[in-house]
Amino acid sequence: MAPLYLTKKSENIYYNFMVISSLYRIFLFAWQSFWRNFWLSLVTITIIILTFISINFLVVVNITTDAAINIVKEKIDVSIYFRPDTTENQVFEVKTYLSSLTQVKDISYVSQQEALEKFRQLHREDSVIIESLEELEDNPIGATLQVKAKDMDEYPAIMEVLDNSKYNNLILDKNFDDHKTYIGKIKNLSENIKRIGLLTSGIFVFIALLIVFNTIRVAIYTHRQEVKIMKLVGATNWFIRSPFLLEAILYGIIGCVFSIIVIYPLLNIVQPYLENFFLTEEFNIVYYFNDNFWKIFGLEILIVILLNIISSSIAIRRYLKV
Amino acid sequence: MIIFKNISKIYPPDVTALNNINLHIKPKEFVSIVGRSGTGKTTLMKILTAEEPSTKGRVIIGGWDITDIKSTEVPILRRQIGVVFQDFKLLPKKTVFENIAFALQVSGAERKKIKEIVPQVLKIVGLINKEGRYPIQLSGGEQQRVAIARSLVHRPKILIADEPTGNLDSINTQEIVDLLLKINEFGTTVVLVTHNREVVNSINKRVVTLDNGAIISDQKVGKYIL
Repeated sequence: MAPLYLTKKSENIYYNFMVISSLYRIFLFAWQSFWRNFWLSLVTITIIILTFISINFLVVVNITTDAAINIVKEKIDVSIYFRPDTTENQVFEVKTYLSSLTQVKDISYVSQQEALEKFRQLHREDSVIIESLEELEDNPIGATLQVKAKDMDEYPAIMEVLDNSKYNNLILDKNFDDHKTYIGKIKNLSENIKRIGLLTSGIFVFIALLIVFNTIRVAIYTHRQEVKIMKLVGATNWFIRSPFLLEAILYGIIGCVFSIIVIYPLLNIVQPYLENFFLTEEFNIVYYFNDNFWKIFGLEILIVILLNIISSSIAIRRYLKV
Repeated sequence: MIIFKNISKIYPPDVTALNNINLHIKPKEFVSIVGRSGTGKTTLMKILTAEEPSTKGRVIIGGWDITDIKSTEVPILRRQIGVVFQDFKLLPKKTVFENIAFALQVSGAERKKIKEIVPQVLKIVGLINKEGRYPIQLSGGEQQRVAIARSLVHRPKILIADEPTGNLDSINTQEIVDLLLKINEFGTTVVLVTHNREVVNSINKRVVTLDNGAIISDQKVGKYIL
């Protein structure tokens, strides 16, 4: 009477469960579903593209401000102007003293003579200044030490050390404050842009999640007849769910590909403006995206796919009781 | 083959659909389950295909106690039970061949296997020359035969037909009944749920009558008694 008994094991049913043909069919069902609700798919992909663009706008803002701050930081140093009557030895003493500080990265020395030359160069158009210089016997301009700190935030500490040292009376003037406000302004601006970008991206991500949720829900509704029959004839839950999950993943991938197609021309448009702004060709946003292509888009697509999977899983669980 | 032991089904809060059903269906038997609408026939069939759990009692099919069946095991059960419905449940955008193949596709059968099995079942139901047609191009009886063919692709040991003739005229009805009898002769246990008096009376096999969720009669060679 053996054939009259039912089996609990799927492999004992007269053919084996064919993973390859199942995968192929799951992909086929997902693909058909994608085209069957074409307009809905289009809207879903559009919103995913917008999400990608807005996130990448954030990326651009981030790396440009970082680059801007770095460029400015590179240019920052503190000039310490010594009194004209300070001797070279005294200046070297101060230099040695400052070099011993851990915060200091680099010190360059500008001698009195060089400082005078620089001053002349700077004011070569101004005959009054040049003439008055000629009349003076002594060099009226003191030596200068240009100090670079390891970190921008350490300048105040270096200044303080210097103020409290015995060399304070040798120093005529120090300049620093202008750079600090400049960097502060960049930081402030970038924080504001980031905040707006983050908000926009957040809104887009939220809308994208809702739309993916709704699209998958509609896809399930469109396929309710098939799903019902699939259940009746013994399709596994995995087989029923997978096409919908795959469809959601497909939206993420297609959205990402199209957004890359849209983003690159945008970067090319922005690049000349950035060059003008930085007055250097060192920083190229397009090259940056090229160099970090997988890091940027790979990570983004992974996150979008993950979010799509979560969103559609909720839709499937709610609307597909299998 | 099928054992219902003290089966009760209560829908919350307190609607009793089935009340202490005890039924034993032997292998290769042909059983008609009859009763008025809303008397629990369909609920009983749903318990059999694990669409709904029973509230009390145990169900054993082919030695397999499915009372507390796991959701991952349900597909394995359903591939071994053929089910046919009043409304055929065919996909209108698929041809006869595709509708039948669909049942094999979703359970992972190879293309080669599908090409082999579909003509076989089409031959059994006598639709071998209509495999390229769409459901709308077929008569009701033919559509139901397609549905029966689909239910046979897994070579089920049990065939459940829930009001299969409900939408058909008398000629088509007789065709379907004859087909079910033929399938039963091949050795498949057939459970026919119906409230069609003529059908039941023409079969001359076991008849189980339900009323108000309980079995009120079980005759070896029965007639429609309600």
